[in-house]
Amino acid sequence: MPTESAARLLEQTIGELSVRAPAIVAAAAGQLAPIALGLHFGDGSHAVLAARASRLLVTLGRARGADVEVYFDDRSMNLLFDREHRPVRELLEASLDVRGARADVLATWRCFRLLAQRAWGLRMVQTLWREYRAKSTERWGEPPRAPGGTRRGRVRHALADSGWNALDYLDRRDPAYRDQAHEQAPWLRAAARSLWDGRTARAWSDAPALLDNDLMETMKACRARVLREIAAIIPRREPRAQLYALMRDYPSREGKGLRATLTIATCASHGGRADDAIRAAAAVELFHNGFLIHDDISDESTHRRGKATMHMAQGIGLAVNTGDALNLFAVDTVLSNLPKLGLARTLALIHEIIHMCRETVEGQAIELGWIRANHVPVRDRDYFQMSTKKTGWYTCISPCRLGAVCAGETDPARLDRFNEAFRLIGIAFQIQDDVLNLVGEQALYGKESLGDLLEGKRTVMMIHLFRSADARTRARMAEINGLPRARKRAADAKEMLRAMERFGAIDYAVALADRLAHRGVRRFERDLAHLPENEAKAVLRQVAHYVTTRPL
Amino acid sequence: MPAALHDRTPALDEADPSLGPRGPFPDIALRREIERRWLHYAFLSDERDLGLVSNIAWLGPAANDPLRRTRNTAIVLMYDRHEGWSASQFNALVRAPAWSAFRLSASARVSRFEIASSAQAPGVDLTLRRSSHPCTSQCVAFTPDQHFRWQSETGIHATGMWRTKARTYRRVRAIGYHERVRGCWGWPELGGWVFGFANAPTGKDGAPPPYALVFTLVYPQAPAEAATASVMLWQDGRLRRHFTRRNIDVAVRGLLEHDRVRHVPALSQHLGVFAMAPIPRLLVIDARQGRDRVLLEFECRAAARIVIPSESGLSPFSVHEVIGPCHVSGLVNGKTFGFETRGIVEFAGGAHAD
Repeated sequence: MPTESAARLLEQTIGELSVRAPAIVAAAAGQLAPIALGLHFGDGSHAVLAARASRLLVTLGRARGADVEVYFDDRSMNLLFDREHRPVRELLEASLDVRGARADVLATWRCFRLLAQRAWGLRMVQTLWREYRAKSTERWGEPPRAPGGTRRGRVRHALADSGWNALDYLDRRDPAYRDQAHEQAPWLRAAARSLWDGRTARAWSDAPALLDNDLMETMKACRARVLREIAAIIPRREPRAQLYALMRDYPSREGKGLRATLTIATCASHGGRADDAIRAAAAVELFHNGFLIHDDISDESTHRRGKATMHMAQGIGLAVNTGDALNLFAVDTVLSNLPKLGLARTLALIHEIIHMCRETVEGQAIELGWIRANHVPVRDRDYFQMSTKKTGWYTCISPCRLGAVCAGETDPARLDRFNEAFRLIGIAFQIQDDVLNLVGEQALYGKESLGDLLEGKRTVMMIHLFRSADARTRARMAEINGLPRARKRAADAKEMLRAMERFGAIDYAVALADRLAHRGVRRFERDLAHLPENEAKAVLRQVAHYVTTRPL
Repeated sequence: MPAALHDRTPALDEADPSLGPRGPFPDIALRREIERRWLHYAFLSDERDLGLVSNIAWLGPAANDPLRRTRNTAIVLMYDRHEGWSASQFNALVRAPAWSAFRLSASARVSRFEIASSAQAPGVDLTLRRSSHPCTSQCVAFTPDQHFRWQSETGIHATGMWRTKARTYRRVRAIGYHERVRGCWGWPELGGWVFGFANAPTGKDGAPPPYALVFTLVYPQAPAEAATASVMLWQDGRLRRHFTRRNIDVAVRGLLEHDRVRHVPALSQHLGVFAMAPIPRLLVIDARQGRDRVLLEFECRAAARIVIPSESGLSPFSVHEVIGPCHVSGLVNGKTFGFETRGIVEFAGGAHAD
């Protein structure tokens, strides 16, 4: 997307930061609220920057009644985001002008400083700025010289036969390296990784996913790594067309990689190797996709992640069988951890997986029961319970617990510390997904537009609608819900959507998701304070904040 | 001295092309665009901290060339402690025929090797002397019609002149590695490799190193089973142990800062080449078979990224030539050994990222 003006560039930068560094945006929004900034740029463009809950909102155009007025030229914007060119040493007097109450000006500065620190580290933001700079080449400073690399120091050590393989030797055996990792050689902080274990090769260029501050890139890398594992797990033999090719179908469809990231990051945050969590993450993905196929059949869904659902494309028989096979292979994948992680951790993984599956089928049963009885619960709490069971466990809670188990954490009390934080975050995430199904674009969301309404899915919006609507509307909505899926028309779904808008159900859901997400983030900080502040915990924190800054 | 080295003429015995050329390194013409032949050289000086990597490649005729002419490329890279890595373009000038131990008879072990960029620096004029025996050839076959075959020889002694842009070093003594490669592969399909060598310091002029080591990890994009690893250990000029696949572990740790990696040839810096993942900082290879064991540790200090355009994709193939200290220890035939030296390691890949 072209970055034709400085204001547009700022809008895109904030947009990227919102998804790639949510924790920072949330912190910056916390500094800024409730100030409204009127931003004026050297190229004549204008924008308004304001905070709403944990989000930063950019509106192009001039501000009315802004608390702080800020004028930038290109040179001072350079200070904020651009890393390829050094900030000029002295700003021209007219380069940056900030006017407003003293406290507001300071808050503005703190907000920009937070954004600038993180934006510096993001390739996507740098790309935006490179494009912009290419169009506005005047007044940029000279490119910086590469800093000289003078770090030296490596402790020689005994090389007697240790009985450890290369990976263990690098990662755990050698105390000299460990000492260096803490003091002299920050480049050693990353855990060792295997390139060849006697059977399987991994590319050296598969950079460790958790070294990137960009949440989207991290999730992409984790997902890609897990997909490669799944590709290796599913055999390439007959019956190909009727089974194994179908098993690859759902996992390969577009996804965020949230579960994989949580599993891998939690493992790493507990001091484990990212590689140790890959199989568990792959197992969760296989279960998830098996459940989705069955779920689509029971919900009579027509689209999943932008394509026809399995049963629509292949028929119910093959779809059921494929779902069964995915679940079977998931069990096998968990068991395959035995040689790598040992008996205790593998048994703990099995225990976690069984619990996850039980919660999921119970949640599904509750919702299907509501739909079958044409019942809409009155209390949000009922929805919370159903949502946590149906999706919360396998989307958020279990991936974290599994990751911790992979790293050797099997203390139930420690594992339970993930539950409340990620329960709240999971519910918020699910509510947002439901909102997106109503107001988002199908191309982005993947399911058919208003599909949830056609399926009669019990969402917070529907619960709020039934709770707050008048008796006549409620009766009409119950009538629509009572129609079989095949007889529901798009007009029925639109009628229900209009009713939801009329009774403020969508705004209510957005605000509720915000509140839950904030509570989740607070619980994250409190309950997981025992985890050391490392790169992987930072990724978990980003995921927690992702829900609070996700564009709706 | 143009890089037009001697051409190959089709052999008479190419009766069945579907079987491919006979022998591991047949002396016959390259037919397909992705058929390749290489001679590879790498040397490290005994003193002054110099390093040299050179590659001379013959490629099959371009698809759009009606004359079906074989193409040549040659590149020379030099590492100098003061200047870091420098390199020629892909048109380095080579004295023909290019030196190769594999063509020399036992009685003609000494001959000249001269290669330089068109600006004369970096460049070397060396007398090369082989001291060891080559290993048997190795091969990786991946897609139905693609393969990669190589043969290595350690303990090559080099004496002569090294020229960087700022300095000329005379009578430099160095020891190194030579390899020939033949195969047919596309860069995206080849995936990547990690390769390296280390020669133990030798006290006597012209004597083989007491120990020398060559390791290779090649991982084509598909199938997964095609990936393979090997570690070969020479003792006093003879191949003593060959550790293969199951007996090897390769692990890395840490990342080398991007500012220690120089892009070469210089032209590549103007072609919008995407950044690659950082290369690892530490490499450990553990090989064991029965009671025998070899452990190699290598620390990456400075790297040059050779950007090679791919014939079949947008992403170039990148070979990182890395220089750094190396520590090898082991137990072979009940006898322990260990040495510290400098080594050269290659981390290659990246063309499959389209």
